Amino acid sequence: MSVTTPILEARGLVKRYARGLIRRRETFRLEADLTVEESTIVGVMGPNGSGKTTLFELITGSNMPSAGTVRVLGRNIHEVKYGQRDRLAIHYHQSYQVRHFRRTRPSFLMQPAGHDYPMVHLFDEPQFNTQDGYIGFMLEFFRKLRSEGRLVFVCLHPNEPYHLELMEEVCERFVFVLAGRVREYPDFDSLLRATDVRSYLGRLVSPDAA
Amino acid sequence: MALFEARGIHKRFGRQVVLERIDLSFEAGRLSGIMGPNGAGKTTCFNVLTGRFKPDRGRVVFDGEDITGLSPSAIARKGIARSFQIMSLFDEYSALENIVIALPDVRARGFNMIDSLSADSEAADRAAAVLARVGLAGREHRRAGDLAYGERRALEVGVALAARPRLLFLDEPTSGLGTEATARLADLVQDLKRDHSIVVIEHDMQFLFGLADTISVIHWGQVVAAGTPDALRENKWVQRSTLGAPP
Repeated sequence: MSVTTPILEARGLVKRYARGLIRRRETFRLEADLTVEESTIVGVMGPNGSGKTTLFELITGSNMPSAGTVRVLGRNIHEVKYGQRDRLAIHYHQSYQVRHFRRTRPSFLMQPAGHDYPMVHLFDEPQFNTQDGYIGFMLEFFRKLRSEGRLVFVCLHPNEPYHLELMEEVCERFVFVLAGRVREYPDFDSLLRATDVRSYLGRLVSPDAA
Repeated sequence: MALFEARGIHKRFGRQVVLERIDLSFEAGRLSGIMGPNGAGKTTCFNVLTGRFKPDRGRVVFDGEDITGLSPSAIARKGIARSFQIMSLFDEYSALENIVIALPDVRARGFNMIDSLSADSEAADRAAAVLARVGLAGREHRRAGDLAYGERRALEVGVALAARPRLLFLDEPTSGLGTEATARLADLVQDLKRDHSIVVIEHDMQFLFGLADTISVIHWGQVVAAGTPDALRENKWVQRSTLGAPP
């Protein structure tokens, strides 16, 4: 019997944000249980503020979870030296999305990444523009990473029909994030059948698409 | 073997990875293009290839020799010339003088003899030939500061050519140029292509697709695609874009 280590395993992952000094009141809570065994391209959708970027920050280890673990190829990302976490999982984002988090432990007590080039690539709302042709090059790049045995996440907040078209073309499975809840769909059709996904996508899905 | 190669270049600034796993290969006698959107890492890449920044990992090889980490001037002496997106001309001097002081033997003599340099007829003749080559015949005695923007760009290319480089890097040559000046520059580069090995770094895709033999597309600090313009055009999404239309 062969036991393979999943590329990504997020177990009992919780991130809580609270406000108030005496009576702590929870303002946001993200929960995720997500296991990806093999290289694939995962499409991530969800409204602004639903927790997509927080999920990516937890997976790449820049943000600490309140509970739970993230393992990349079996390595706990939050036990890897800060400066090497992006050798395991890298978050590509717009400069305005960058949040810096406090480093709370000495790096020399932590683990090396064990890789030079990241195994998990998370693309956070890449600027897809049909005018200049870069979409084609980007999609080919996602496929290249996948063919090298890596895991790719493409996060998008679709507001044009071609956004859905390219997600359907390049992604093999899907994640929908809504109000801090993370749900998985094995393919595009099952994603589009979900009621809250349909209401989120609104005019982008015609009534007879399901 | 390629004239110039970059292998596995990795560069970070603090917490930010700016270049990741860059592999590039430029053949002699070809025009190689590097394109990418703003902020993709093109200029950082240019700076690593031409010695301004040292990569954290990876190698830069020119004509079989490892030049990783050499200073820009040492790399220039190996026969690599560069023209910048930021103008670097001496505005107070004439177009001819700008070329004269870029001639390697004149540089070796020093700059303090500038008044007598324009009288050095042999150097002046060579400089005039360079000016003619970049389309500035008749502009020899015009102050560089008084030239039109497109002419200044051509003069910059002339300054780079004065060193008789074995490889010429042009960084964003069309930046700040209007449609007409861009078309004239394209004609100039097309002409230089006949007898020079050139690398053009450019965000203007139409310009590059019209001129390059091969193109490497850089995005997120990485080479996301590479091939001939025709091969890159085969992509369905490229065909849907303005690049898909035949030139």
